[in-house]
Formats: sequence, C-alpha cells, structure tokens
Amino acid sequence: MRAAKIPVALALAVFGLGCLVVLAFALGRFPVSPGDFARVMWAWMSGGTPEVPATVQTVILNVRGPRILAAIVVGAALAGAGAAYQSLFRNPLVSPDILGVSSGAALGAVLGIFFSLDVVFIQGLAFIGGLTAVATAYFIASRMRGHDPILVLVLAGVVIGALLGAGVALIKYLADPYNQLPAITYWLLGSLAAATRADFLSVLPAAAIGIAVLWLLRWRISVLALGDDEAASVGVETGRIRVAVIAAATLMTAAVVSISGIVGWVGLLIPHFARLMVGPDFTRLFPVTALLGAAFMLGVDTIARTAGRIELPLGVLTAVIGTPLFLWLLATARRSWQ
Amino acid sequence: MTHTFRPQRRRIVFGGALAALAPSLVQAQARTVTDSVGRRVQLPARVERVYAAGPPASILLFALAPERLLGWTSPFRPAERPFVPSRYADLPTLGRLTGRGNTANVEVVIGAKPDLIFDYGTVSPTLASLADRVQEQTGIPYLLIDGAFDRIPEAFRLLGDIVSAGEQALAWSSYSARTLDEVRARVARVPEGRRPRVYYGRGPNGLQTGLSGSINMETLERVGAANVAAELGRGGLVQVSIEQVLNWSPDVIVTTDPNFFASVWRDPSWQPLPAVRERRVHLAPGLPFGWIDFPPSINRLIGLHWLGRLLHPALFPEPLRPIARDFYARAYHQAPSDAQLDALLTQEKPPGS
Amino acid sequence: MKLEARNLGYGYRGQLVGRGANLSLSAGEVVCILGPNGGGKTTLFRTLLGLIPPIEGQVLIEGTDLHASSRAAIARLVGYVPQAHLGYFPFTVQDVVLMGRTAHLSPFAVPSRRDRDLAAAAIERVGLAHLADAVYTRISGGERQLALIARALAQATPLLVMDEPTASLDFGNQVLVLETVAKLAGEGIGVLVSTHDPDQAFQCADRVALVHRGSVTDIGPPEEGLDATRLRELYGIEVQISTVEVEGRPRRVCVPAGVTRQSAIFGRE
Repeated sequence: MRAAKIPVALALAVFGLGCLVVLAFALGRFPVSPGDFARVMWAWMSGGTPEVPATVQTVILNVRGPRILAAIVVGAALAGAGAAYQSLFRNPLVSPDILGVSSGAALGAVLGIFFSLDVVFIQGLAFIGGLTAVATAYFIASRMRGHDPILVLVLAGVVIGALLGAGVALIKYLADPYNQLPAITYWLLGSLAAATRADFLSVLPAAAIGIAVLWLLRWRISVLALGDDEAASVGVETGRIRVAVIAAATLMTAAVVSISGIVGWVGLLIPHFARLMVGPDFTRLFPVTALLGAAFMLGVDTIARTAGRIELPLGVLTAVIGTPLFLWLLATARRSWQ
Repeated sequence: MTHTFRPQRRRIVFGGALAALAPSLVQAQARTVTDSVGRRVQLPARVERVYAAGPPASILLFALAPERLLGWTSPFRPAERPFVPSRYADLPTLGRLTGRGNTANVEVVIGAKPDLIFDYGTVSPTLASLADRVQEQTGIPYLLIDGAFDRIPEAFRLLGDIVSAGEQALAWSSYSARTLDEVRARVARVPEGRRPRVYYGRGPNGLQTGLSGSINMETLERVGAANVAAELGRGGLVQVSIEQVLNWSPDVIVTTDPNFFASVWRDPSWQPLPAVRERRVHLAPGLPFGWIDFPPSINRLIGLHWLGRLLHPALFPEPLRPIARDFYARAYHQAPSDAQLDALLTQEKPPGS
Repeated sequence: MKLEARNLGYGYRGQLVGRGANLSLSAGEVVCILGPNGGGKTTLFRTLLGLIPPIEGQVLIEGTDLHASSRAAIARLVGYVPQAHLGYFPFTVQDVVLMGRTAHLSPFAVPSRRDRDLAAAAIERVGLAHLADAVYTRISGGERQLALIARALAQATPLLVMDEPTASLDFGNQVLVLETVAKLAGEGIGVLVSTHDPDQAFQCADRVALVHRGSVTDIGPPEEGLDATRLRELYGIEVQISTVEVEGRPRRVCVPAGVTRQSAIFGRE
C-alpha cells in the first residue's frame, strides 16, 4: 500500500504546483485578465503575435513568467539541498546554510554593492562567494584528520559562516548609509522583485546539475543516514558521496541565492513536511521535497508581491508563514510519518 | 599702618575682585545659543574649529565657512576630488558621530580639539539625547540644526551665528531663499493635473524608491513633479517590483545609480515603458555630492534647477551651465572647468544621443 | 573464501591498540573473539572490515589486500552486523534491510523488485516478517539486532563480522541470535563474532581468539583452548569449566567460582 502512495503523492504535488502557477500568473499589481493571459500563452506556444498591448505581454512573459519560474527553481533547490544535507549529516535540524554558503554569498553580494558594481557582478560575486565559503570549510575540515569527519565539517562550516558574517557586518558598518546600506539590507532580506528572464536562465544550469547529481545518488544518500561505518560496510564510498552531495547542494544553493538573496527556513522546514508525508527514504523524499519547496516558494513570493502596498521581503515571509505551519503540522500529525 | 593683611582678609579681597570681574570674564568666554531642538548650549566667543558630525553637516559648513571645517566624515573618492580645492579635499577623515551609525572614535574627535560639534539633518528626540550624551562625555558643545529643505536659509543663519561667519551666512541665506522662492513660484504655475509623473529609481536594479514625504524625495517634490509612488502612502524608502513600475507607467524616470542607468536601455522588462522608449530616463549628476538625493544637504539646491529644466523646460529657460558654475564656486569654492561641466551635464543623456 | 589478518597492527591515528594479530576466518566456520571491554575488539573489527587502515601488517581477503579493494568489492564479500543502535530517522525495518543490497547495485541505481524480494526473504529468515513495516526506531533492542542481521543476510556475503550481537538483548533473544549464527555457519557462511561471555564461545564457536592487552591469540577450538587459567588472565576472576550433559550430548559450561548468593546458600548446611 505504501508503494502505491508515492506516485499518488507525487501526482498530487505536481498538480498542486500547476494550480499555484496558474494562480500566480493571475495575481499581481498590473491588471491582467484571464483572456489576455490565455492569448499571450497561446501565441507564445504557437509562435504567433497576440492581440494584447505590449505592456501586458511584457508583464506576462518578461516579468511574472521569469519571476514564477525563478521562485520554483529557488524553492526546489533550497528544499532539495536541505533534504540532502539532513540525510548527509544525519540530523533533521540542518539547513543548507550549515557549511557557510549563505554567508559566503552574502559577503560576495555585499562587496559588489559596496563597490557599486553592476547587478550582474553582484550576482556573480554572490555565486562565487557561496562556492568559496563551502570549499574553504571543506578544505579546513579535510586537513583535520582523526576526528569524526561530519563533526569537523559542521564546525568548519560554522566557523567560516561566522567569519564571513563578521565581514558582512563590517561592510554594512562602512557602507554609505544613504545609498549602499539600504541596498545591502534589501539584498540580505531576500527578494525576487528584480528576477528577469536572464536571471532565471543563468541559474538554471547550476540548479539543474545539482538536482541531477542528487537524483542520481538518491539511494546512496539514503543509505548514508545509517552512519559512516555502516554505510561503508554495505558498499557506499562515503567520502566520495559526501563530496558529491556537498558539491551539488552548494552549487544549487549558491546559484539560487545569487538571484534571490538570503531566504532562510525553506531548506530546514520543507524537508520536514516532506518527511512527515513520505518518510525518510531519500529516493521518495527528494522529489517530494523539491516539489513542495517549489510550491512553497511560489506561494510565498506571490504573497510578497501582492499582499502589501510594497514588496515584502522573502526571508521574513518564509519565517512568518513557515514556522506556524510547521508547529501546526507537528501538533496535528502523529509523531511518526505513518 | 603696615600692609600686612591677615590671611582671611587676603582671601576676601581676592574673592571680591574675582566676583567683580566674573560677569565680564564669563561674557568674554561664553555665549548661549539655542539650537533647532531648543537645546541651550554654551559656546566660546570665537569658534574656530568645528567638527561636522555627518555628511550633510560637513557640506553645510564647507559651503559657509570652509576654513572652520576640521575634517570630513569619510574620505573623498578619486572622482570627487577634482571638484574641490585640494587643501580642503586633503582635510583628515574623522568619521561620523550622528545617530545614523557612527564610525568616529570619540577620542580622535576630542584629540582634534574642536570648539564645537554640530549635526545637520532630521531632528528628533533620539538625536537630541544623543547630542546631550556626547556633550556630557566630551565636554564639547554639540548642536543640532534642522535640515528641512525649506528651512535652508534659516540653517545658514543659525550656523553663521554660531561660527561667527555673519557675512557669508547672509549671502547664503539670501541665495538659498531666492532659489527656493523662485522655484516655488514657477512650479506653482503648473496645474495639479499637468504635473509630469516621475518615478525615482534608486539602487542597482532601480527598484528602490521613496514614498511621499521621504527625505529622498524632497528635491523631486519641490519641482512640480508627481511622485508615482505617492499612492502607496507616506513613508521612507521602499522596494517595489518592475510590475508595479509598469503599472504606474511614469512619464519620466530619474535615477542616481549609474549601473541602473546603463542597463535600463537593454533590459526587456523596462522596454514597454514610454519613459524608456522616449529616452526620458535621466541620471542625476553626483560629483562631488549628489544633486538630488544624498547626502540630504544644501548640495540639492542645484538639483532644483536641473530637475526643473528637465521637467518644465518652458518654465526654466535659463541655461544651466552658468547657474551650475556659480553654485559650485559658492558651495565648493572652486569653479568647475568647462570639461568638468560637460561631464556633469551631459552624463544624464542616454547613450547614443 | 578466507579473510586473514597477518601480523596486523591496528589502532587510531597511529596509536597502536593491538599488534601482531594473526587471525583467519574461512567459510562455514564460526570464530569467536573473546575479550574484556575496552580491549580493542571493535577497533580490530573495523580494521578487518577495511573501515580504518591497518597501521602494521595486512588484512587479506582471498589473498588480496583488503585496503586496495573498493568499498563495493569488500561489501560483496564481508557483511557487518554492528551493535544495534538508535538512529533518528524513522526508517522501516524493510528500508533498513534493503540497504544491505547496496553492494550489488551500480552507483546510480535504486533497488529493484528482485532486491526487495531478497530483503523480504532475509527478514523471514530471522523471524521478523511480522515487523517488516514497523518503524525501526520503535521496535525492541533485540528486534533491531535481528533486523541488522537480516540486513547482513540481504547483503548475501560469504563472510560476516558481528560485533557483540547479543549485547543488551534478553536471554531468549541472545540464544536466538546464537542459534542463527550456528545455522548460518551450517549454511556455509563464515562468521566472526565478538563476545565477552565465555559460555557463548562454548556454544557456537569453532575457534576462539583472545583479545587482551594488545595481543590477539588464536587458541583453537574452545573445548581445547579455553581453560580456567586463560580466563583468569583475561578477566581476573576465578572460574570453573565443567562439562554437562544436555539432551544426551556433552556441553562445556563456564561457572564463576567466587562467592555468589548460590554458593552462600549452599554453603549453609
């Protein structure tokens, strides 16, 4: 009976996401009628020109479309990376930030803003910053022989994260309070308000590679939850798998953080939801987590751009919406996922 | 009679003499000035060394009486230096000591031996209490001057009184009053419905803007422009989305970020805007200090002319160059060269025009 | 199929815990490692499994150096049954046992129908079929141990290494595990099992190796090599080894000779 549940759960998740996408296209500051939307989508698919004003076309194809796609990728990547790390570190309280990727990306972006660089460079620096932070943490950890590899990795990540966080704080301190500091603050709170088609296309390869690697290794990642010794004894090359998972998760996370800014909680909470639904086996957990994460992010971003008179920051919304939801779920669901 | 006073008598005479001289001594040493928040502060008779606690204060003092300025709050960037005489550009960096994030080391400030510290900008009870604390801690008088745009003439008069630069204060107060009145009178002729709808885009992606009443929008609000973001209410800086801007469809877009200005022409999301298509996107000059937004000080006076010409060419027919040259000579004590003026005044044109 | 340790020096971070170990395990035999707590049995096992590298000497499997083989290759030859522990994640017994099949899967594969069937058969074999869908973290310690044995069975290796499989089990489950060990050896699997109870060595071992103070001594069959002197050396207590008849057949037992309640009662005459 459990085997039958999974395709059903997946189908429901995909359907739910689809509905959310349609809803997201319908909502927004700019008035777009369903008829206009249908005409534009039809024309886009069939390659013709729709009979709608250019502005409406732009809103649908260049503004809402990329933003919705970006939200989906961001949510799927953050949640998927979170699930992978939770299996890897055998700890359900782990988020993708544990090795310092967010702090690294933050420092990169903040430096870009501080030096008044073009948005492309700000994003590029964020991406590189995220990768560098994790590479450094991994390098430090690999030099510490003779300790539990997971423990030193986490400690190195915490240390690097703290160091880079201090760097961010320093830049905030030195930044021009009239011009740069607001830009820095907005970036750190997370937002997809400026997500363009180019942004989406630039993060897609990295996110796709990361997701593909995690998907291919899904069984081994599941086995890793047994612990290093036991996983090795059943034939898993724990060291190599660990590197691969960290590399993939970091690639995904750094890429999406570079366009969205710091968005917390998704990588921590969504895997929990998914685990409560389908259990800890990563082969089932990963696709469900990714879909849930995409749907959650899309929902939150849609609220961010429609709920208030101004854009609400994503980082705040994910915490405000996610935590009560999670508490409710814990309270009403039974302790185990069955 | 021998003039050997007994010790008590000596003390009485000495004390009496002192008491007699005291009032005049005190008067020669101090005067009391009331600052913009009603704080009565004791100042020495001559104020020679002044520490300006924040960027707007530095600019105000620099314009009025540059020789009193002890130093700047942050160093000049290379692009900014050519507009200011090098002896002023080379003044030391002392850091900020305002309510908006301090970088100054109080000991360094004391070491610079200022006769007074002052700040210029928004005045609030918090800032007033901060001023009291610094004053108590350092023993140096700390004054607050209201930075409201419309009260610039008064600010000059008050500062002039404080630093004993009465003549310059008079010149500045009449110049600034004239400018403000002139602009006000001209734009009053534009009826409410005919005001151009302006979007002010800040930040590298142009999606930060100021709500009505925000200090960032002060210049814009005084040149007969309708801030498209006003419908969102009153407040400060906010972030909006491209969709929102598309919905507003402003007539004119003004920005202060060169990166945004360079990219807006190629960005497909901004294309549909009439303002972009008609090349009515303008980058405000910003050297050595911004013309329309930050720092929020008297540097914005020239911005009134610039924006006025941009939005209502018919109402502001005078060529901008002489006005700009004159303003720079007064405010920054160096008339810009023709090449510098070219650079300033043509950078707001879209590439290729 | 033979697992061999030759002059093995084992330990952590260059610190030797034991040296000069010469040990072998062949298919179809049960070798019992006997020794006090903290004697280094687990470290020895981890070295024999290739989880930590040997400091001196070699571990050979079928004549080739274990350390040079891939994890998957080793996992197809030697299975590991650790002491039952509690993980956090609520995997089912079925999930846990299925993980034993990993050694037979290619790097990106997931278990097939056949793998699931083999796992189900292994669960049957240890008598846990009624708990196949139970959550691993919520069954008893004994049941968890059996599940781990099932996992090793699903791994289908000719050799098994079991680290104190009866620790924290009740009497009935202990016997059950020992019976399973004997049964497996009867089916041709070589089992290396560690214990600190001499009686268990008597019950199931073909050969015994004593691990004590950094040395590993193969003393051969327990009836021959395990005597009171050796046990006094090992545990520091006096014991008496006797032979009793159980269902018509002689069995060796080990009884502590010191003062116990029993001896005190019988002493009162």
